[in-house]
Amino acid sequence: MNRVVVTGIGVVSPIGSTSEKFWSGLVEARSGIGPITTIPTERLNTKIAAEVRDFDPAQHFDPKRQGLLDRFAQFAVVAARAAVQDAKLELIEEIAQQAATIVGNGAGGMNTLDDSFWRLYGQNATRAHPLTIPRLMANAACSQVSMDLGLKGPTFTIASACSSGTHAIGQAFQMVRSGQVPLALAGGTEACITVGTIKGWEALRVMSTDTCRPFSRTRTGLVLGEGAAMFVLEPRERAMARGAPIYAELLGFGMSADANDITAIDPDGAARAMRSALADAKVNGEDIDYVNAHGTGTALNDKGETAALHKAFGASAEHLAVSSSKGVLGHSLGAAGALEFAATALTLHHQIIPPTANFEEADPDCDLDYVPNTARNAPVLTAMSSSFAFGGLNAVLVLGRA
Amino acid sequence: MAIIDDVRAIIAKSLNIPAERLTPETRLDELGAESLDVIEIVFGLEEKFDITIPLKADDASKLTGSGTSGIKDNAGQEMPFSTVGDVAQIVEKLIAAKVPQ
Repeated sequence: MNRVVVTGIGVVSPIGSTSEKFWSGLVEARSGIGPITTIPTERLNTKIAAEVRDFDPAQHFDPKRQGLLDRFAQFAVVAARAAVQDAKLELIEEIAQQAATIVGNGAGGMNTLDDSFWRLYGQNATRAHPLTIPRLMANAACSQVSMDLGLKGPTFTIASACSSGTHAIGQAFQMVRSGQVPLALAGGTEACITVGTIKGWEALRVMSTDTCRPFSRTRTGLVLGEGAAMFVLEPRERAMARGAPIYAELLGFGMSADANDITAIDPDGAARAMRSALADAKVNGEDIDYVNAHGTGTALNDKGETAALHKAFGASAEHLAVSSSKGVLGHSLGAAGALEFAATALTLHHQIIPPTANFEEADPDCDLDYVPNTARNAPVLTAMSSSFAFGGLNAVLVLGRA
Repeated sequence: MAIIDDVRAIIAKSLNIPAERLTPETRLDELGAESLDVIEIVFGLEEKFDITIPLKADDASKLTGSGTSGIKDNAGQEMPFSTVGDVAQIVEKLIAAKVPQ
C-alpha cells in the first residue's frame, strides 16, 4: 500500500484561476457571488451566481480546439494543466501510459445543450452543430484532459451530482494507494450557469436571491457556482524522491448512500460516510482539527449536516473548526467537492483555517464552531472534506499534514 | 369546474391517490405529502391557474405540518397551507389578485 500525497493543485474558480488567488479569496472571505453576466437574466428570478469571470478560452486554446470544448471541459483542461505544472511534473511516457484520469461532474456540457436546444426548439433551426454531442457528453471533460496531457491509463467520469468531485478524488486515491496506477489526475468540473439549468434549480425552490450564508440563521438558500479543480496524486515515496512540492497526504475515503430521500440530506447516511472515512484513515474523530463542510446555505442541509457531525464525532464535535467555502465559491455541484478539497489541502499547507463567509447570526439548529467571517491561524494536522449529493450519495475524504 | 375540484385533482395526481378521498378538511401531512410533493403540487397549481406562489423548499418542508404559505391575506396574515381547503383559498386569492379591480 502506497502513502498518497497531493503534489499539484490547479483551479479555475469564481475568485480567481490561480491557486494563490483562490487561497487569498477564501482566507479573506472575498465572495465570488455577484450579478450574472454570462447569460440573459430577463426570464430568471435568480439574478446572481458565482461565475468564473476572468476566463478567456482563447488564451488557452487555439480556435479549432476551442470549438471542440464546452465550457466545463475548458475548465477541466486548464485546471489539469495547472496542476501538472504546479507539481513540477514531467509526464514521461512510462508514467503517462498508466496514469489515471478521473473527473467528476454532475451534468455535462450544459452550455452546449442549452444553446443547441434553443436553436432547435426556440428558433426552429433544422440542424444541430456537428460537434454538439462530442461537446456535451458527460465524459467530454475527462476525455479532453486525457487527450491534452497524453494520459493513457484508466480514464472515466464519475457523476454523483454534488459529490462527483469528491468521489473522483477518492477513487483516484484508492487506485494510487493500491499501486494500480503510478499517478492520477483527478478532480471535478462544472459549468451549468445556463437559463435552462437555473430554471430547473428555481423550480426546486432552494435558490437564494441575495447571497449564500452557510450555517447562519439568516440563510436563504444556495447560489449556483461554476469552476474546476484538478490534482496530481502520486505515491509519497516517488514525490519525495523527485523533490515535488507536497501539499497534503490523503489518508482516507468514505462513502455511503442514504437510500432515503431524493433531495433531503439524511444525517445518518452522512455520518456513516464520515465514520467510514475516519476508519479508512485510521484516525479518531478527536484527531480531526478542521472540517470543510458541504454547507450549501439551505435550511435543511446545514441543519442536517450539523446533526451528522454530532452523530459522527460525538462529544468531540464541539472542538471541531467547521467552515463552508460556498459563501465565497457558491455551489458548483460536481466541481464543489474538488474546489473544497483544494481549500482543505491548502488549509493543511498554510496552517490557516478559511472562514465561513457571509455569516450573520447563530442558529440554534447549527451549534458548532463555523469560523465565522474571519480566517484563523491554528494548527491543523488532520482535516476532513465532505460532500452530500442529491440522490443521497455521500463522499468524505480525510487528509493529513504532509 | 370549481377551483376546489381542480385543486383536488392536482393534489391527487401528485400524491397518486383518488381525488374522491380529498375533502376541504383533508390535511396534506395525513396523506403522506413530503417536501418535494408540496413543491410539485405548487408547480401544478401555478401552471393550471397561471399564478405565482412564492414558496421555498424550506417552507414546503414545514407546510405538511402547520406551516404557512408565504401568501398573506387581505388582513396581512399569513395564509395556512395545511389542508386541501387552505390550498384552494390561496389559489382563489391569487386569481382574484390577477383581475384588475
